[in-house]
Amino acid sequence: MSATATITMTTLPSKSTIKHSPAQSHVEASSQNQPPKSQKQMTKAERREQQERQRAAKAATKVAGPQPSGSNQNSAQAKNSASVKKGGKGPDGKPTKETKETTPDDSARGLQIFSHFGLPKPPGPSKGDIHPAIIRLGLQFSEFKIAGANARCIATLTAFKTVIQDYVTPPNNTLSRHLLTHLSPQITHLVSARPMSVTMGNAIRELKLEISGSDIDLPEQDAKNLLCQKINDYISERITIADQVIQETAGTKIKDGDVILTYARSSVVEQVLVGAWDDGKQFSVVVVDSRPMLEGKKLLSVLSAMGIPCTYLLLPSIGSVITEVSTVLVGAHSLHSNGAVFSRAGTALVAMMAKQHSVPVVVCCETYKFAETIQLDSFTKNELAPAGDIFSSFPLTRSKDTLTLNKQPNLEILNPLYDLTPPSSITAVVTEVGVIPPSSISSIPLALGRTTL
Amino acid sequence: MATDPSSVANQRVVETLASRLRRRQVVGSRETALETVLVLRQVISKVRFSNIDQLVEIIRSVGRKLVEAQPKEHTVGNTVRKVLHHIREEYHTASQGTAVVSTSKDTLSIAKFVLQGQPRKQNVPQKTTLNKSQVMLKENDEDDPDAFARTLKPVLMEAIQDVLDELETVYDNISKNAKDHIHSDEIILIIGKSSTVEAFLKAAAPYRKYTVIVADTAPSYSGHDMAQSLSSAGISTVLVPDSSIYALMSRINKVMLGAHAILANGGMFAITGSLLAATAARAHSTPVVVCAGQFKLTPQWNLYHEYGALDFADPSSVLGFEEGNLVDKVDVVNPFYDYVRPELIDAFITNDGDHPPSSVYRLIKEAYDDEDYEL
Repeated sequence: MSATATITMTTLPSKSTIKHSPAQSHVEASSQNQPPKSQKQMTKAERREQQERQRAAKAATKVAGPQPSGSNQNSAQAKNSASVKKGGKGPDGKPTKETKETTPDDSARGLQIFSHFGLPKPPGPSKGDIHPAIIRLGLQFSEFKIAGANARCIATLTAFKTVIQDYVTPPNNTLSRHLLTHLSPQITHLVSARPMSVTMGNAIRELKLEISGSDIDLPEQDAKNLLCQKINDYISERITIADQVIQETAGTKIKDGDVILTYARSSVVEQVLVGAWDDGKQFSVVVVDSRPMLEGKKLLSVLSAMGIPCTYLLLPSIGSVITEVSTVLVGAHSLHSNGAVFSRAGTALVAMMAKQHSVPVVVCCETYKFAETIQLDSFTKNELAPAGDIFSSFPLTRSKDTLTLNKQPNLEILNPLYDLTPPSSITAVVTEVGVIPPSSISSIPLALGRTTL
Repeated sequence: MATDPSSVANQRVVETLASRLRRRQVVGSRETALETVLVLRQVISKVRFSNIDQLVEIIRSVGRKLVEAQPKEHTVGNTVRKVLHHIREEYHTASQGTAVVSTSKDTLSIAKFVLQGQPRKQNVPQKTTLNKSQVMLKENDEDDPDAFARTLKPVLMEAIQDVLDELETVYDNISKNAKDHIHSDEIILIIGKSSTVEAFLKAAAPYRKYTVIVADTAPSYSGHDMAQSLSSAGISTVLVPDSSIYALMSRINKVMLGAHAILANGGMFAITGSLLAATAARAHSTPVVVCAGQFKLTPQWNLYHEYGALDFADPSSVLGFEEGNLVDKVDVVNPFYDYVRPELIDAFITNDGDHPPSSVYRLIKEAYDDEDYEL
């Protein structure tokens, strides 16, 4: 008993500091199930002590000059201390944040409204026992080898299948309780590589629901197989088959002679266009692309390989071609209850210009991308692309040194990856349950007789 | 008869500039305007004419040649029109010194206003310099064909020097009231690299603390140069890609654009990306301010938003040849300029004061002569 107590005492503080990183509510929900009440209070005192120690250490390192890993720890610490609701930690958060800004004066004053984005940190050394599949996935996320809401969700679920199969229930524990705690650090590792997408969040929530509802009497292997089966069903129902239905529905909106405009690369829109071309419709596509990710080029190669006549241009030039376009098709990262579409940065501009010229804007989105929250603007929740030119998005016509500017005093570089399109710019959303106006997404569960989406 | 001996020399100078314009070796509104003024000065100093119409015709033909070489550089034509306007003004004041002073203009009826076109010119008081040259302006004198030219030339040179001075002091005049347009802690959005806007911001920097957000402006990426220049001047700058313009617009207080040419209806040609910024600003009710010199005022229209009115640049900055197999299968479009409607602009800040787009037509009427609109 005492042995386990000491083990938990030493491991929990490190876990708990990560627990409170500005990640998702479900992480906290799962961790609150596990420790008993008295331990939680004890660890809180532990945490306070540790933070006092670390604050002193930080002051020493601040004098010595911050190292990049040091500042990562500091910023992680700053976030943790900022989010701890018990008082006295507020001032802890502020000074550490100031040290992150290299200029001591208020030259970065106007930029504080974006300072909460937090630049992505390289995934730190894995704490605890992270499954190698998850480590690999984290690396792929942080280097943007896997990008896009659907792709990330499918990759995450597939990795979790491996984790579940390799999992062994420790003695005196049930699968349904312990598996959740086993998955928590894996999820946290993924979040530290790249903030969780709404699709991943929804899928993981479903998975946890399944796990906690699994039958205690089932032998372990059967329970694990059942879970993997459920995961496969989720992927096929909510993503693969949904995409096929969307492809057919949206395909009916494409007629011969149309000029379809699409922005960046959405896996769903790609399927729609390829499907419509295979059906024999004759149309042409305008692919609009933009930094930082320049994903449109991939879509361009797929479409032109099929023989679809394509035009390619960058986002600022859209004003000259929008008059020739008949429909705009875009994808989404998530859909919010007020009808706003959270999507790749630049979609809002495309939708706005299209609306100005009376071109219908159609968003292709599966129902599992629905987020229960309301988002009013693009910066309360956004993600910045890592600094540097990892997408090699600059043209070769100019020398690279002039283009890859580093942070200097007075110069800050921001590359937000997402933006919010207000519902007024959107004409319709095509989902697997039908074509709906954007604000009706929250009434779908009721219409289908379900409680959640 | 008038220009034969010096026509060869004149033509060479004009031809050089015309070929440089055609090959786009001289690019940019201010540079082309300066070059045009210098060429005109050379032409006028060498040309021979015996009456005003011949002079005007010579300058017009030079202007026509230059404009044909590069019709998208509107400041070439504007400078020629400005020089013609000054010439006519000088000629009228000089000839009024010789002729009987016409009866007073107290009957300024509407009919006269409309017919004359430039009522202001009639009321221009005698310039003090012209008192010296109360000499007879002998036009079409057979025994001394150069008399007219001789008396008028020094005056013309002064007029051209005026135009040149105006071009050279454009930035200073525009930035005079810079600090009155910017308040503390303001966040301003900039597109691309405009030297006018840059001078404006740098002039306000010592008086106000504000932040500038610069958009990349693909594919020329001139935003990078702008950000570099502004941040080294001590202005806190944020560099963002164009895709985040809408995302950030709700926190932006002002949008500042540069212009390539201001059209007669109050619209303008500006670098690609300005239309996006202006439309997003209109969607958020953010004021859009354009800084431009008066030499950019063009008596032309873009009524039908012709696709061909835009200028197109090298597509390899959009999709380079390193993309090998895509290059021949795909159409690549790279327009260099955008047309921004007058409804999207709130104010023009020029070296001659601030004007709303609705009074641009009045500025054009004052700056140029009616008969010069078609060169």
